[in-house]
Amino acid sequence: MSTIQDFTGYTPTWCPGCGDWGIGIAIKTALVQMGLNPASVIAVFGIGCSGNMNDFLNAYAIHALHGRGLPNAIGAKLANHKLPVIAIVGDGDCYGEGGNHFIHACRGNHDITVIVHDNGVYGLTTGQVAPTAQKGFKSKSTPSGIIEIPINPLTLALTQGASFVAQSFAGNVNQVVEMIKAGMKHQGFSLINILQPCVTFNKINTYQYYLKQSYKLSAEYKTDNFEEALKISTEMTTKEKFPLGILYQRERPTYTNELPQVSTMTLVEKQRFINFEELQSDFI
Amino acid sequence: MRFTWKIGGEAGFGIMTTGLLFSKIANRLGYYTFDYIEYPSLIRGGHNAFEAIVSDEEVHGLKKEIDFLVCLNADTFKYHKQRLTSESVVLYDPDEFAIEQENIIRISVPFKKILSDLKGQPVMKNTIAMGASLAILGSDLSILNEMLDKQFSRKGEAVVDFNKKFASLGFDQVRKNFPTQTKSLLEKREGEQKLVMSGNEAFSLGAIAADCRLYCAYPMTPSSSVLTTLASWQEKTGIIVRHAEDEISVINTALGGSFAGVRSAVGTSGGGFALMVESVSLAGITETPIVIFIAQRPGPATGMPTWTEQGDLLFATFAGHGEFPKIVLAPGDVVEMTTLTAEAFNFADIYQTPVLVMSDMFLSESHKTMKKSFLDKFLDEYKVNRGKTIDTFSSSSKYLRYQLTEDGISPRLIPGFKGQYYQANSYEHVEDGHTTEEALARKQQVEKRNKKLDTYLLNHFKPPKVFGNIETSQTIFVSWGTTKGPILEAQAILRGMGIETAFIHFTHIYPLKEEVIAPLFKDSQKRYVLLENNSHGQFGKLLRMETGLELQEKLLKYDGRPFWPEEIVESIKI
Repeated sequence: MSTIQDFTGYTPTWCPGCGDWGIGIAIKTALVQMGLNPASVIAVFGIGCSGNMNDFLNAYAIHALHGRGLPNAIGAKLANHKLPVIAIVGDGDCYGEGGNHFIHACRGNHDITVIVHDNGVYGLTTGQVAPTAQKGFKSKSTPSGIIEIPINPLTLALTQGASFVAQSFAGNVNQVVEMIKAGMKHQGFSLINILQPCVTFNKINTYQYYLKQSYKLSAEYKTDNFEEALKISTEMTTKEKFPLGILYQRERPTYTNELPQVSTMTLVEKQRFINFEELQSDFI
Repeated sequence: MRFTWKIGGEAGFGIMTTGLLFSKIANRLGYYTFDYIEYPSLIRGGHNAFEAIVSDEEVHGLKKEIDFLVCLNADTFKYHKQRLTSESVVLYDPDEFAIEQENIIRISVPFKKILSDLKGQPVMKNTIAMGASLAILGSDLSILNEMLDKQFSRKGEAVVDFNKKFASLGFDQVRKNFPTQTKSLLEKREGEQKLVMSGNEAFSLGAIAADCRLYCAYPMTPSSSVLTTLASWQEKTGIIVRHAEDEISVINTALGGSFAGVRSAVGTSGGGFALMVESVSLAGITETPIVIFIAQRPGPATGMPTWTEQGDLLFATFAGHGEFPKIVLAPGDVVEMTTLTAEAFNFADIYQTPVLVMSDMFLSESHKTMKKSFLDKFLDEYKVNRGKTIDTFSSSSKYLRYQLTEDGISPRLIPGFKGQYYQANSYEHVEDGHTTEEALARKQQVEKRNKKLDTYLLNHFKPPKVFGNIETSQTIFVSWGTTKGPILEAQAILRGMGIETAFIHFTHIYPLKEEVIAPLFKDSQKRYVLLENNSHGQFGKLLRMETGLELQEKLLKYDGRPFWPEEIVESIKI
């Protein structure tokens, strides 16, 4: 049995009060509770304050390029689908720079768990707007307020085929732990969008703001109702109401489930193909 | 014996398939071929053409004079008549268009009438043409019929017989109406078994031989047939092929797979590679093996998608921000493509860095004869060498992914091994992989990565191949990659004229090892001619940068077409 300490690397450099502290401890707790250890999980980190967790969390890991973590995670999963793969990314990282990869990862139902730190700003580059920033948000790159409306990650994920969509709040670590565990247990693509206050650069979406604007999905809520999930997700855009919990979950075959090449063993475990004669008839 | 057979018709009506069928028939009959296609970036409309050069000896490149021109439409004659001579035979249907030109041999074949009499589909015109061609070349229909059996057997005997009928009508028309024009060029001859392979297929085969298990790509001419070939081999070989959403995802998927321990490759053309470049740099600093196949086409931007150029050499060689090692290879034909590709996977694993295999449309989409015995021997002898890749780690100490070593290469542990972990870090890092900004650690890691190229030059760099005698020849061609074929053909023509030449053919393009290259250029009295399919003389610049050698005389071609051996000969005779 592993411990939190096994997963603990360098001391984090996040600002005091940053939502990332809560997410960081939640990820480690979830991994321990799932019976994993640093050698039995692959973690892919994006670039940003969230991605800096690369040095704070022990695992077989890739610290990717900005926006490109998801395809790295997909590739690792294709090569070794027995290892759980988590992608720890930011909102600018995953919905901005890597937006194209995000929608296609949803479509493919790649069995990876994407944990997005959604704070509405680019913290590491000192506070410019992220694609999740609310319309009118003033930042160094948008001094008159951002013109675009925010991306809605939950609606986007749902409509692009994600088979597990959840939202959590960094101020409630226990709930983050539960969502990460549920996402990792889910067979297929799982998104956990975590509302994460940036105490340094975002004075709008604060802990108080999210406490006021978010709500827990009720115990009676049915997670397999796509239309209802879609309706609730759009309220983030229309009413600034943020649901917390598993919004949608429905299993369908994962990408590697659909590959007969890896039905009995992983790609990395297989024997080398040597029946070259079989290929030569194409050339005669 | 050497002749050019060319067929042309409207795009979308099976010209390429028919052409390849012709090449395969010639090879089954015991001959050697080289073929080349011309097509616009369109699916319907526009003009498609295919030519095969056939000989009883190995064929390396094109031949300018067309000996047999099969015109499935008027455009074929219009576009290619300037390559005809008084000996040239033109097959066409006078019901479709008239040929005024007198000084050629005209063979009329009633394509239109046969099609309408038998109610055939337009694409069956090709089968008539194939029958007619085999008649004029002095062959019979046995091999063609075998291939039609193979192609249509799934559709039932009636379909097979229906197709064979068109072939025999075309054949009979020529035999009956033009008995004196029939040549004896394609009679069955003895010889070992031959394969007809394109550069892209040779890459695909090299990749499978090298145990590549993950290939990712986004379709881009002229690289796309690697994607489709490997995709079609998934069931047989077990390789996973991912057609991702864009080239950035392509390379990052492959790097994820490589990190997790499988040999991975990507393929694209210049524009797609441009999108991958940031991640080439990622492979450099994370020291993740990857093979990158680039089938060049004329740029900039969309350029001329279906034509050829060697215009991306310097771009590819220097692609990626920051300083990191990279190995660039450029095969000159399908044999070198197979062997260098398989070696590229070894180099990627040994040096844990990106290895580029440069092709272009001319090599990628042309088919050339490969002796089966050569391929079998190569596949038998090739050894997968994963260098310092390890799947266990026995020391009680902490595993160091970026351990400082004499040769610059650190043991690379496949993720999943119990009791260890590490990160492949895109930031500068210390030996265990954690991020650093410390001056000494940075310097040590830069030097460690740089050392890998010194190790490569010491252990694996291959000097250029020399064709001909450099000591006795006055003129020495210098080139790289896919110009090999045209230059070898030009050398043969020159030899026939009593002019001996030498040819320095580079396949290991970057880095270059000055001390083994400089001696080839030591005689300042000789005429060194740099040949490249681009306008900047890019390899010349690279050669100068790496060795200090400067070549003054250049023959550069950048109209989207490969070199004609004849134009190389002309430029030398002056």
